[in-house]
Amino acid sequence: MRPFRSIALLVAAVPALAFAQGASPAQPPAAPGPDATAPAPPSPAEPPERQRTERDAPAVPQSQPEAAPATPSAPAVTEEDDADRAQAPEAQAPAATQPTDAPVLDTHEAPRTTDAQQQRLVNGAPLYNPNVNVHIVQKKRFADEGKHELVLYPAAVQVNGKFTNHVGTALSYVYHLQENFALQVGGQYNWYSDESDFNLELIDKVREQAQAASSLLLQWGAHAGVEVTPLYGKFAFFNNSLAQFSVVLSGGAGIGKTRHLIRPEVANEVDGQTYQVPARFGDTGNKFLGEVGGGFRVQFGEHYALRLEVRDLIYTARVDRVDGCNLADFEALEAARAANQPFDGLNLSGGCKVSKFDGVDPKTKKNYREDIILGRDLVAEPSSDVLNNVSFYAGFSVLF
Amino acid sequence: MNARTLRVFAALSLSLTALGAAAQEDGVLDSAVVRNRLYKPAGHPELSLSVGLPVQTHLTAHYFFDVGLAYNLFDTFALEARAGYAVSRHTGLARSISESFLDREDKRVTDELEDMWRMNLHSVVGARWAPIYGKISLVADIPVHFQTYLWAGGGLTNLKRQSVIQCTQVVDRAAGVCDNRTAVDDRGSATENYWVKESRVAPVVSAALGFRFFINEQHGIRLELRDWIFKDSYRVNLLRDDWEAGRTTGEPASSPGLTHLVQFDLGYTFTF
Repeated sequence: MRPFRSIALLVAAVPALAFAQGASPAQPPAAPGPDATAPAPPSPAEPPERQRTERDAPAVPQSQPEAAPATPSAPAVTEEDDADRAQAPEAQAPAATQPTDAPVLDTHEAPRTTDAQQQRLVNGAPLYNPNVNVHIVQKKRFADEGKHELVLYPAAVQVNGKFTNHVGTALSYVYHLQENFALQVGGQYNWYSDESDFNLELIDKVREQAQAASSLLLQWGAHAGVEVTPLYGKFAFFNNSLAQFSVVLSGGAGIGKTRHLIRPEVANEVDGQTYQVPARFGDTGNKFLGEVGGGFRVQFGEHYALRLEVRDLIYTARVDRVDGCNLADFEALEAARAANQPFDGLNLSGGCKVSKFDGVDPKTKKNYREDIILGRDLVAEPSSDVLNNVSFYAGFSVLF
Repeated sequence: MNARTLRVFAALSLSLTALGAAAQEDGVLDSAVVRNRLYKPAGHPELSLSVGLPVQTHLTAHYFFDVGLAYNLFDTFALEARAGYAVSRHTGLARSISESFLDREDKRVTDELEDMWRMNLHSVVGARWAPIYGKISLVADIPVHFQTYLWAGGGLTNLKRQSVIQCTQVVDRAAGVCDNRTAVDDRGSATENYWVKESRVAPVVSAALGFRFFINEQHGIRLELRDWIFKDSYRVNLLRDDWEAGRTTGEPASSPGLTHLVQFDLGYTFTF
């Protein structure tokens, strides 16, 4: 649970930051509204925390009053990058199409956009622009509402594997019901799921191992749920390229198939010949699966996105049957094995797959009956646990 | 990652950073998309305090308390020295193993467990490269500016190790007691234990991926995922008779590998 707590801590820290910034004296004074015809006169005393920002303000044109816009209000800014537009006010000014009744600028009054104070950058844009003070990260460039998103995570790697290791591939379908709310359904297949080296080290060196329930392996899982995107933003990589991203949080429930290692890979020597016998896993049934997660979705263009997420697959684990056989079944099988009797007449529970523990593998010459004692050990002391399989998901998605 | 790869990576990082910074100075990138960084730490020193919590614990757990002093050469690049102390302990699993293994006399020859060294005092110097600057909108109107950075560096650390296998003076084998506690059930009354202990000073490498959220020009919050890496060291082919008689036994492992301590760091920075 510790990684999960860490993620929760991270997420919880962001709003705290926001409030801190909101209350900070470094916030600029409110910019004039769109209807204002003249900005407030510049303050003679500059707040100390702004001095560094002022240093970075662009050069102020000193002798081009006629080229500056004389209109009472700035052009409407609807794109999110109004800051960038505002950096070249001359280029955006309606140059030669002034109406005859346009207000005439007093020749003694400098155009407001050429004043150093007004050109001062506030949250990344000149102060004179009334829009930028309110909406720092204005509109999302790409709307999500009503869109479908298909996400492929080629790699989902467990990051909290103390006793187990999982690596898999996941696929999700997301329907964005609203801009910040979506329904999702997904599945994951772990093409590698095995006990960790740490668990094997404990077995080898100190004759200890995790309880069966604590080392239960998740073969595959399927879940449905919701996804919310409470935060969005943009970032620049080395000032060269801009990317839009969202913070995504997801939650859901479903079902997962589990298994447990019965026997690790061993060498089997028969008639002087050595065969490598692969590890053997026993089916421990389907379990209820919960899913919570969070991460980033970085959008490239209108139809593609990259997703980096951490998800916690939570499943209840109680191991009292392996391959359908309970303790009584294993006791009966072991007794029959010791007496070298066939298993046909044994009174076993309905789901016990007796064939899994009978016969000889023609390739490796491994006698499956030798695994009965190992299966019995797993269920001899029924154990239960709630497992958190926290994995890092890296994937890409297509929106349509 | 071998030394050659590391050198190439470091050289590449430095050149990218230097070029980018130079371009910024010259105004080459003036028309770039997010040209107006609200917070420009270049040229300013900064002080940081951080607390690190373990992301995952096996046999040991660490809690880091660090102080850092950095100088921002450019907006995207800084050099930082960090020093601190890590409070460490054995996990419940380690204690459970130590108690049960005392009575497991069928295992008379074994190896020490890996990754049992615990960090204490440490000091590292490193470079912080923050190529990503962004802002995030919390609830439409509230912007949070942040940097995403990679940190890499190295230094020295003081390490200590207490075995959970080798007890030189078994007090109560069945109860798993290897200390001078006054009552079997009262572990807290022990003032001394008899587990084999070692200590050493070793080089340590640290790497991190982090976010710095700006509160204003001076104050910021850092969130990091940081890995502390040092070479492991343990003995193999230990004989129970020898260690229980207080004699040194076994030989050092030939390839002990590296120990990784992955931490989640929460920090505060003050920029002068």
